[in-house]
Amino acid sequence: MLGRIFRAGCVLAAAATALGAQISREEALARVYPAARFEAERVFLTEAQQSAAARIANVSVPSRLIARYVATRDGEVVGRAYIDTHVVRTKNESLLVCLDPDGRVRRVEVTAFLEPPEYMGSGLWYAQYEGRLLDDDLAIDRAIRPIAGATLTGRATAAAVRRVLAIDAVLGDPPGAEP
Amino acid sequence: MSQLTIFAGMVWVVCVAGSAAAAATQAEQEEEQEEVETLEQLGDRIDVLAEELERMRSGEPEAPMTPEEARERGLGRSAASVYERTDAGVSIAGYGEMLYQNGAGTDQSGAPVSTGARLDFLRAVLYFGYRFNDKFLFNSEIEIEHANEVGVEFAYIEYLAHPAASFRGGMLLVPMGLTNEFHEPTVFLSAARPETEQRLLPSTWRENGAGIVGSGGRVSYRAYVVNGLDASGFDASGLRGGRQKGSAAEASDPAFVARVDVEATPGVFVGGSIYHGDSSQGQFTDSLGDPFSVGTTIGEVHGQAAIRGLDVRGLWARTSLANAGLLNQALGLAGADGVGSAIEGGYIQVGYDVLSQTMREMSVTPFYRFEMLDTQAGVAPGSTKDPARDRTFHTFGASFAPIPNVVVKADYQWIRNEAATGVDQFNFALGYNF
Repeated sequence: MLGRIFRAGCVLAAAATALGAQISREEALARVYPAARFEAERVFLTEAQQSAAARIANVSVPSRLIARYVATRDGEVVGRAYIDTHVVRTKNESLLVCLDPDGRVRRVEVTAFLEPPEYMGSGLWYAQYEGRLLDDDLAIDRAIRPIAGATLTGRATAAAVRRVLAIDAVLGDPPGAEP
Repeated sequence: MSQLTIFAGMVWVVCVAGSAAAAATQAEQEEEQEEVETLEQLGDRIDVLAEELERMRSGEPEAPMTPEEARERGLGRSAASVYERTDAGVSIAGYGEMLYQNGAGTDQSGAPVSTGARLDFLRAVLYFGYRFNDKFLFNSEIEIEHANEVGVEFAYIEYLAHPAASFRGGMLLVPMGLTNEFHEPTVFLSAARPETEQRLLPSTWRENGAGIVGSGGRVSYRAYVVNGLDASGFDASGLRGGRQKGSAAEASDPAFVARVDVEATPGVFVGGSIYHGDSSQGQFTDSLGDPFSVGTTIGEVHGQAAIRGLDVRGLWARTSLANAGLLNQALGLAGADGVGSAIEGGYIQVGYDVLSQTMREMSVTPFYRFEMLDTQAGVAPGSTKDPARDRTFHTFGASFAPIPNVVVKADYQWIRNEAATGVDQFNFALGYNF
């Protein structure tokens, strides 16, 4: 009996491992913008930019320190990616929100999730954000469906994506960029 | 003094002045250069600090320290592990719910009944967790029920071997149904949990054990080995009394429980779970003195869809008990008081958040739930079926959440049974989580 249980567990683990989930930001960047070069920037928002981003996003922008990566290929900007770290319940989640040059969400990758894993959304759930711009429909129970039993994760993630899109709009194109 | 001397003197004065001016300009340039270098250094340092701060804040795992780096700190590899911690420390959260229930003055046949009203601070719960490092965490839920009963609902150590496969051991929530694992009052719409998930899947159902947890892509799963139920607590109303709740649990007979959910599309999932174990725990013998087992198999399927404010969820579950007749003899349960050899129940519920398409944070969700539960869907030879155990519930109500963490719920239940003794009930609840 225990042998059967162990074998079943191993099969399940192997299957799940093959599907993957949380990755480092460097892996995520390479996956989202293949063959691109990345320039890491730490941008300091002015107070006016912070207020403007919060107003546009309709969510709080708690920090003026922004981590941004500009992806270029053959000298051309192919995307911008932002790290957004926020509290889900009592522990942090960090997302790499990757944008296209026109400011649409290309991918949302989870680079850290410190709550118990069952409160994390699936890859399919995070894929709901792909192609989206900042509008009123970008919210839980509207264009974004909730995560059953993990309401707080869903709401925190939707707020993070709204925040990143607003910050990107406020900052404009990176200096010298030719999108 | 000759003119030549005067001229030479003037040349000398001009040269000295020129040299002094050139020296001054050079000094200024050097000073400016130093200032530029200093500013550049400061800029670099700010960049380094900003990167360090942002990386620390993110909670992302750091690259493991190399043996060379550990040596540089005068530490062995294990002693240096503390430097790899990411966001270690305590986390505290909680939830609670107060429930008011008031039964009707007559039953479904019109006969007067006296059920009275009850106001109960049903649960006050605190979660305590500790993250040792990026691989190990402790999580627990300490509950005070009815304001005076203390219990542990779960307490486990988890090893995060891979995001798609973790191992946990300790007191675990049995991963069955829609409510048992996610039982905070902000998660379910009705004031009280569905009856099927109290009698057949006896939430909050927790037992001691160990197992594997994981998810990836569209699939999530959990599989545990736990101490089994204790059949000495079963009765005609269901399995609820058989929970051992981790307290000096009889563990002669382990049980296996596994669950799989498949996310068809975001917000929509279907799944199922199965539990199997012997609930006799070596306690029972038949009339010949031979021990007998009480094989207990519970299966359930469930599904939920949450799309643009619409919330549809459903569940069906069935339990079958082996040797229910022998168990009834051993427990002295005769006639209609016997434990059912089969228990069946399920529900379907539809709700809609009428504020979902606005930018408001609050929600107002009217809902309807149809539920059936028969705790004696099958009876063993020698027992009789109590028609009052075969019940249907029609529940209309609404859930109002001014913010996502606070909920006020009210509903009315039309309760019918085959004995025509069902008593309708009004429920009101106040719940919170943080």
